Amino acid sequence: MAEQVTFDRSLYLPEAVDAAAAAYAEHAKIEVTPAGDSVVVALSVIGEHDPQTVTNAFCNHVLYETIARMRQAAE
Amino acid sequence: MADQDTQDSRLGFAVGENHISFEVDETVYPLEAVYGASYLFLEKCFVYLSRPRAAAVDVRLTAREAATPADLDALAGEFANELLSQATRLRLSQASARIREYYTAAALRAAAAAPSVDELLAELEAEELLEDPLEIMVPWEEKHGAQQNESDPKKDPE
Repeated sequence: MAEQVTFDRSLYLPEAVDAAAAAYAEHAKIEVTPAGDSVVVALSVIGEHDPQTVTNAFCNHVLYETIARMRQAAE
Repeated sequence: MADQDTQDSRLGFAVGENHISFEVDETVYPLEAVYGASYLFLEKCFVYLSRPRAAAVDVRLTAREAATPADLDALAGEFANELLSQATRLRLSQASARIREYYTAAALRAAAAAPSVDELLAELEAEELLEDPLEIMVPWEEKHGAQQNESDPKKDPE
């Protein structure tokens, strides 16, 4: 069953979501859908990893990518 | 990632199974401060941000290992402290921005006014440091060779 996560555009950069989706492609089947003020991600974990842990780790990665890109842009 | 079965913690945070969440007022803590604190907690726990309404950020911290409500309470308390620290640092940085700009400009002006290497060399020449009143630059043979030859006829009997 796919885990669904919503990333608000005012908090997360869409390109950060895409980057994290590319980074987690080996661990999960990821579907990214833009939806107005947010980006909705559906994750179906591949293999025997805990789906909740993979989803949480994915969220961390999106946040990391967002902060790193924002800091880079500010320099 | 909606909260299910949550209860209020000792510090007023909403505690669920292995996670804790709380709302941050963006008018008090700017988003940069939320990002700053979140960045420092990425290795410690899982961080997820959401926007319950305008000018508010919901922070959800999920423990990497099984955690008791007291552990989660402590984690959220640490995050709140870091948030305050980040917000204070940001405000101080903004408040002292003019002073930093002034000092940077002053340093650049001073650097621009500093003499170049060519100017320093020209200055040296002008001071005539290349003059050699003690004849330090004169070779020894040139200075004493002739005298020694005269006073040491054994070396050159012819």
